[in-house]
Amino acid sequence: MLAAILYVGAVSLLVIGLAGMLLSSHLFRMLLGLVIAEAGANLLLVLAGYRWESAAPIWESGAYPQLMVDPVPQAMVLTAIVIGVGIQALAIALLVRIRQQTGSLQRDIVREQLEQDLDLELGVKLPSSMHAPSGEGPLLSGTRGAGNEQ
Amino acid sequence: MSNSLALVIALPLLAAFLLQPLAQQLGVGREQRSVAIQLYAQLTIAVTLWITLMLGNGVEQQPLSVMMGGFSAPMGINLYLDRLSLLLLVATQLALLLLWPADATPRIHALMLLLSASSMGLALSGDLFNLYVFYELLAVATFGLVAANSSRSAPLISFRYLLISGLGSVLALSGIALIYSHTGSLNLADISATLQHGDAELPLAAFILILLGIGVKAELFAVNGWVPEVYAIISPRLSALLAGVVSKLAVVVIVRVLLMLFPHPEAAQVLLVLGILGVISGELAAWRAQDLRRMLAYSSIGQLGMIFIAFSLSLEFGMLMGLLLSLHHMVVKPGLFMLTAGKSKRWHMALFVLFALSLVGVPPLPGFWVKLSLLTGLVEAGGALNQLALIVFLGATVIEASYLFRVLQNTLPNPPAVDEGHLTVGWNGLVGVLLGGVLVVTTLSVDPVLEQLKQISSQAGDRNLLISSVVTPSAEQQMVVERDK
Repeated sequence: MLAAILYVGAVSLLVIGLAGMLLSSHLFRMLLGLVIAEAGANLLLVLAGYRWESAAPIWESGAYPQLMVDPVPQAMVLTAIVIGVGIQALAIALLVRIRQQTGSLQRDIVREQLEQDLDLELGVKLPSSMHAPSGEGPLLSGTRGAGNEQ
Repeated sequence: MSNSLALVIALPLLAAFLLQPLAQQLGVGREQRSVAIQLYAQLTIAVTLWITLMLGNGVEQQPLSVMMGGFSAPMGINLYLDRLSLLLLVATQLALLLLWPADATPRIHALMLLLSASSMGLALSGDLFNLYVFYELLAVATFGLVAANSSRSAPLISFRYLLISGLGSVLALSGIALIYSHTGSLNLADISATLQHGDAELPLAAFILILLGIGVKAELFAVNGWVPEVYAIISPRLSALLAGVVSKLAVVVIVRVLLMLFPHPEAAQVLLVLGILGVISGELAAWRAQDLRRMLAYSSIGQLGMIFIAFSLSLEFGMLMGLLLSLHHMVVKPGLFMLTAGKSKRWHMALFVLFALSLVGVPPLPGFWVKLSLLTGLVEAGGALNQLALIVFLGATVIEASYLFRVLQNTLPNPPAVDEGHLTVGWNGLVGVLLGGVLVVTTLSVDPVLEQLKQISSQAGDRNLLISSVVTPSAEQQMVVERDK
């Protein structure tokens, strides 16, 4: 019974996290979604090696316990948690930079800005594009000035 | 001797972490320091290349399996070197040496070393969890390389790449957890031995999770949203490296897992469907793209879709076809990316035409032979999905020709403007010439190359060989383990 609850919990954490990543409109919430999904995956991994009614795999003295929890997944989850923390820290550092540059973390605003910047960057460098002539368009000239200040 | 296989991963890793303190100790001018650091980093790669070639000598007869720390098969960390991973390792190391970024800061050099260590780990790793760890390491190195770009959009693009990659790693980790709960092991050879005895059966969900997870790096459909943006801002050399080599590493990892653990036809069908969708979306987006770099990026999504279609065919033939397509793409795509850098000269355009012709598949270039045999393979395989793949494949070829030659039509009268220094242009052009040379040489010696690749793919697809060389190591390897104890 408990096992079933834990498995359902792990899978729902995964689903909640993925849904959060896909549905939220704020970059920081998307990152939180990733964190939640990671927790779900880690829980799933721990459950994969868990043996009910058995001892922790630590031997102090005397006889070995009859049944031990599989230590391999626990070691792996430790690794996964460490990797996850590192990546989250990196992601937050990037978010700070994005916030400084665009003044917003709303997904739509940031994405629009990204598309404009990219088109500008590539369009000016490469006059080979067929439909967009190179140089400054009347609508883009404002954003270009902002880009040079950074 | 065979234990020094670990050095291939450990040396660049160590060099990466030593680089920063060493750079601070150097008391010379800024100019000399940057030259010294680049030399140090490239020397490290050259040494690993030498070690790889030394170890790769006997791999033709017997793949090399190294158990770290003296633990025997299902326990411990297992590195596995067969002819396929040897080929990939050598190609990666050569590509790293050729495409090393110019005028980089010490931090970039450190990240490049990290990238090389993790991609070698990915190619060598014989168990699932190390695959995951090296995958994450590779991801972190690429985030750093993307974020270090001077482009204004770099942080955002890097963040989106991080989210997609993170999603992939969560999926892959859940897939690994599923496999572990079914078999109680993480070693690829050990799991496939268990499966062969019929002791356990793996759910298809585990394969799909790992496929989507690792597929982020392999530009697989549905998890490739990062591709166009990232390739648009990073330098052509780095695009060439990521599109040409790193994506192929990921493909080979996926395919090895597929072959060893999931021989069901359903798994191949999933690969086929995702491949078809990748071809359609990638090629159409490339056709609509309005700048050269993003066009090449989308086109590489389409190409990798074709590779996945090839791998989904029957074991022996599919392995060979996938390998051929991958290698072809590995030469042509970096060549095209390198030609997007710097001032365009007439011979640049000539090379571009050569690469484009081979990519589209015009005889007698290698691309033609690869595509022709894949087409005949698809016809022979029959079945509705394969026929759909055939139609998509032919359509994609037409679209490819259309957008590649549109570039020529637009650039021939007025070549693109200069955007990099003269020296780097020289090197980039040189790499382009080298890759073009490889293409021409292959054209002239199609038969012997094909023969070699046939042997490589049949060795890579041999399940029993993997099991026998990892789970029951040969006497010599056991002696090595004994001595190290």
